[in-house]
Amino acid sequence: MSATEGSAPEPDPRFDPVTAEVIRGAMETVAFEMATFVSLTATTPILNQSNERNATILGGNGRLAALSVGIPQFMLSSTLPVRFALEFFAEEGLHEGDVLLANDPYHGGGHLPDYNVFAPVVVDGRVALIASIQCHHADTGGGMPGGYNAEAIDIWAEGVRIPALKLFDRGVERRDVLYMLQVNNRTPSFLGDLRAQIGAAQLGAKRLHEIIARHGLEAVDAAVEHAIDHAARRFRSEVAAWPDGTYEADSYVDHDPVGNQDIHVHVKVTVAGDQLTVDFTGSDERQDLKAYSSFGNTRGYVVAQLATMMDPTIPKNEGFFDSIDLIVPKGCVLNPHEGQTVAAGTHHPGVEVGEAIAKALGQVLPERSCPQIYKLGMPTVIFGQHPETGLPFFDHSVDCLAAYCNAVKGQDGWGSMPASFGNLIRATAEINESITPVRHECCDYLPDSGGPGRWRGCPGSRVVKRVLADSTVSTYMVGMKYPMAGVAGGGDGSPNQLTIRFETDGAERVPVMANGAPHGAGEAFEYLYGGGGGWGDPLERDPAQVRDDVLDEYVSLDSAERDYGVVFTGHADDYSLAVDAAATERLRARRRGA
Amino acid sequence: MGHRIGIDVGGTFTDFVLVRPDGQLRLLKTPTTLGDQSRGVMTGLATLARAEGGDVEAMLRETDLVVHGTTTADNTLIEMNGAVTGLLTTAGHRDEIEIRRGFKEDIWDPAYPPPVPIAPRRRRFGIPERLDARGQVVHPLDENALRDAIRRLRLQRVESVAVCFLFSFVNPVHELRAAELLRAEAPEIRVSLSHLVMPTAPEFERTSTTLVDAYVGPRVSRYLANLEDALREAGFGHELLVMQSNGGIMTADFLARRAVAALGSGPTGGAMGAASVARQVEVPDFIAMDMGGTSYEVCVVRNGRPTVKSFWNWQHRYLIGLPMVEMHAIGAGGGSIASVEAGALRVGPESAKAEPGPICYGRGGTLPTVTDANLVLGYLNPEALCGGDFKLTGAGVREALDSHIGEPLEADTVAAAHGIFRIVNANMANAIRRVSSEAGLDPRGFALVVYGGNGPVHAGRQAEDLGIRRWIVPRSAPALSALGLLVADYVVDLQRSYITPADRAEPDRVNELLEQLEAQARAELAVAGLEGEAVTVERSFCLCYPGQNFDIPIPAVLSAADGTRMASEDVAATREAFHDHHDALRGYALRSEAPLLRAVRLHATGHTPKPPAEPLPPATTEVDEALVGRRPAFMGEGFVDTPVYDGERLERGHQVAGPAILEQRFTTIVLYPGHEATIDAYGNVNVAISARRT
Repeated sequence: MSATEGSAPEPDPRFDPVTAEVIRGAMETVAFEMATFVSLTATTPILNQSNERNATILGGNGRLAALSVGIPQFMLSSTLPVRFALEFFAEEGLHEGDVLLANDPYHGGGHLPDYNVFAPVVVDGRVALIASIQCHHADTGGGMPGGYNAEAIDIWAEGVRIPALKLFDRGVERRDVLYMLQVNNRTPSFLGDLRAQIGAAQLGAKRLHEIIARHGLEAVDAAVEHAIDHAARRFRSEVAAWPDGTYEADSYVDHDPVGNQDIHVHVKVTVAGDQLTVDFTGSDERQDLKAYSSFGNTRGYVVAQLATMMDPTIPKNEGFFDSIDLIVPKGCVLNPHEGQTVAAGTHHPGVEVGEAIAKALGQVLPERSCPQIYKLGMPTVIFGQHPETGLPFFDHSVDCLAAYCNAVKGQDGWGSMPASFGNLIRATAEINESITPVRHECCDYLPDSGGPGRWRGCPGSRVVKRVLADSTVSTYMVGMKYPMAGVAGGGDGSPNQLTIRFETDGAERVPVMANGAPHGAGEAFEYLYGGGGGWGDPLERDPAQVRDDVLDEYVSLDSAERDYGVVFTGHADDYSLAVDAAATERLRARRRGA
Repeated sequence: MGHRIGIDVGGTFTDFVLVRPDGQLRLLKTPTTLGDQSRGVMTGLATLARAEGGDVEAMLRETDLVVHGTTTADNTLIEMNGAVTGLLTTAGHRDEIEIRRGFKEDIWDPAYPPPVPIAPRRRRFGIPERLDARGQVVHPLDENALRDAIRRLRLQRVESVAVCFLFSFVNPVHELRAAELLRAEAPEIRVSLSHLVMPTAPEFERTSTTLVDAYVGPRVSRYLANLEDALREAGFGHELLVMQSNGGIMTADFLARRAVAALGSGPTGGAMGAASVARQVEVPDFIAMDMGGTSYEVCVVRNGRPTVKSFWNWQHRYLIGLPMVEMHAIGAGGGSIASVEAGALRVGPESAKAEPGPICYGRGGTLPTVTDANLVLGYLNPEALCGGDFKLTGAGVREALDSHIGEPLEADTVAAAHGIFRIVNANMANAIRRVSSEAGLDPRGFALVVYGGNGPVHAGRQAEDLGIRRWIVPRSAPALSALGLLVADYVVDLQRSYITPADRAEPDRVNELLEQLEAQARAELAVAGLEGEAVTVERSFCLCYPGQNFDIPIPAVLSAADGTRMASEDVAATREAFHDHHDALRGYALRSEAPLLRAVRLHATGHTPKPPAEPLPPATTEVDEALVGRRPAFMGEGFVDTPVYDGERLERGHQVAGPAILEQRFTTIVLYPGHEATIDAYGNVNVAISARRT
């Protein structure tokens, strides 16, 4: 073979952007393969069906290079535990064949059920890359089954803490360690799920070795740096386009599970050129709550919220995370002193972190402001004995329902939940009723529950579930005093409301918690899930859209007039409804003047 | 046997394959007509007949079989211009179709729009009625409410209605009564009943599938009726057959009633065609890849069967719960546009499409595409694409590569072109890795079967990236989808939900369902003239562990009546068979758990005669006689003076070692160093990668 005309450019010994891009794509594929491996081999439905797992590739220094996402809110906290392990084992080093486990909220983790398993890729005696996989486990030991012990007195009562533990040492399984973990966990399938994670981390390490063998360590290092720089550049160029200034907002949780009121999140977001600072100084400092969000959890929600406020194609890696100057004072509700409980706080005030940022930046970037949160407290768990089998049954009510989905500029809220939850697959009436004595009577949208706005919040659902055997119902309610807030003049979504023993003499609104509320066979509860907030002044909504909303029964005629200032002629029933343009203009003018 | 004609309508071209009684093939490509595809089909048939030296009547009179792959159903969902459609659900379940089990396509984009509603809320009515999981009536059908809903549907000029009541697949009584009332009060409205379209839980999947059926049904049935009429007028004396999404063919009449089964009809033909070629060359496990102008589709084929998926299957933003051949598409084709974004080279998903197309098409394209890069790298012949019908122009290509790619990356023209080539190859190899990892397999054990006009330029490099040692370009690669239509069998897939702990399954109930399904399948096939021996039936049970969302089909455990019916001892054996199956497929079994039976499934195949392809005669020429020239082509490290062969003149047994380029009429095959091609007995190009050399 002989070279003729033209020739390839001299290979740049320092850096080749095409190779960097090829390597970046290959690493994202490895992350995808690891996540898929867990889905195929884990035994627990929340891992193999609900996508509650994330896979990440980190550089040798613990910086996140590539990511495959299941549920962003739970899982963006993979880097800090790895960095702790790198520090902790600095002296003896990590070795090829090692596989480690970490879950401790006070060593970089989010909350105890999120188990992070990772394997170093060692080349020439140096950790070149790290393959890491995070999964939500059903149990963590501790005082109560299920990993959410709302009544725990401290972190030790919540479950077993693992700061950094070698499961495999130089390729050899540490049987004693795995056995210790197994006996401290209530779930029989725990070890199977952990092995699925170990297998995924090992698979990731093997595939990363192949990539290094193919392209050379230098090129891979350069590609990791390039991917991170690329994300940082894009992050900073977005921030640079935001108006400089300091924007503050407050967000509140109604109460913690034991009724401590108004858990307060305060944020101060500062935009200075291309630098973004997120400062939670001023947030709740009470030390006797049952709701703390660990630092890793807080950081995860900060990233998840900001990610939805930027170009969705910016890679979510260290370049993104590192570009945020995050200040969370030690001891506040978002960065508790070691020992505080974090199980309930993972969700509240965890999610309020995102809400506060959306509100603060909403002052100057209203078109990007859509809180990626839920006001769910805890799932509503129905527990009883199946009349046919005599066996206990649980229904965690991860049902088809709509809630908490705000509008954004140019788009009404739609579907089930905010976009970030789009990977979580909901249970259905037909499958559930076939195995569980609970009837799903209703999950329809609740008219007028979406916040009015130029763009309307998505309605919440009216959910009615009737038990067909004596059962108990347990839940923790929030979002009643503080429903989803409207943005840029939009109205709030409707609040949550739960009535147990609905339409019976024993009917009762749940104020904070239902703790095993008995329901006799044939009794039902009605949960009105809160709607999303609206965006922009409802008086500016196109009257034709309001007419559509009335015909579609998202909005009542009353609300059309009261909230949107739209006057109609004709009737909805026979579809003759038409906007009375002149009367609408008059009414709107009067409202604006008032 | 007379002629057989396969007609595949694609986005840009309609492909025809005519198989003469002696087994010889003729391929034809004509432009697809927008709007009514049947005009392009009839025009193409006339052209085909002229090429055969006769008129279309004479050709069709001698034709036994016309099989059609159509994109009508897909286009209806892409353009969202189907029927004015309504939906009747059980009261309280009016909005599940919008809630979508929580699914949103982009978790990072809160402004991502919802799908265009097929039935906006005002055309969805919750009807008071309720069955329990056993099919017992809990709440009788409120006929007054139903009549009122029908009245309001008519007021809204609804043309088509989907009816989906809870547990109708156990007991269709309320859906049937609703159909009666609809017929009586609104005879002009087409009705899709969920227990007929997809008699399976859960309700979201069934509602979505039934709604799509109602939406595309009028247009699909109108289109097929028009085409049948046109064919009949032109002298064709048999029933038109249509490819379904499950890889089997059925009569046009069947598809008119089950329009949703026509989704994906086109690309499915390609997978079936690839499978038939792979049978010729005895490759049971392979990855089929189809690279056209705008997209790249991948299908995993194991044991000669394309992978079929029947759960969580999103098509054009609606969920289809029927079994479909699993095609993974990424936006990467010859027309994919390259760009540099914040210092990173990207290729696709934006495409120059057919118009204006790549710069080198000379039709006004100004952004560099994959095809432009391939031209600069010397892989494509600027003079003679499509057998000389179509010339490429270099004008503006290098300048665009320099300004859009080279300058921002500080690279010269060739490096920019090679960068695009590498990125698109990497994207495709990553897509194949993802598909194989989801199937739980290692691509290295597989061959690549490559078709579509643009695939064979890239396949060699992708095979190398994936560690694949063998790739095959079928003889009819440019029209493989059309050929695939002719090798497919009739298929009826039926399923009925029966949800119970597997240990408590009642054999009588299972047998009743199996009998019903079999009778229904045989009746459908009898219409097409397939009976007795020509029909084979496979029965499976769908099971899962409690808490799993998706069930897994396993061969039904049936020891009674010659293995066709369930005996009482089969109940325990079913449980064990599921544990074993789960273990084999997923690597574990939960033997302490009691699996759930979720459905009984039946797959009936009506076998069509498939005259074996005639092997080609041995070569009468030397391979060098096909050598038509040389040109510089980029081979990893630099340009190499590369021999170019006329692919049409290569004969059985000829061998060509890379670096080399084989030019066929509709495609170009690039052999890289270390790749050696052999023309097999059927004219397929078989490539072995002996050693990896860049």
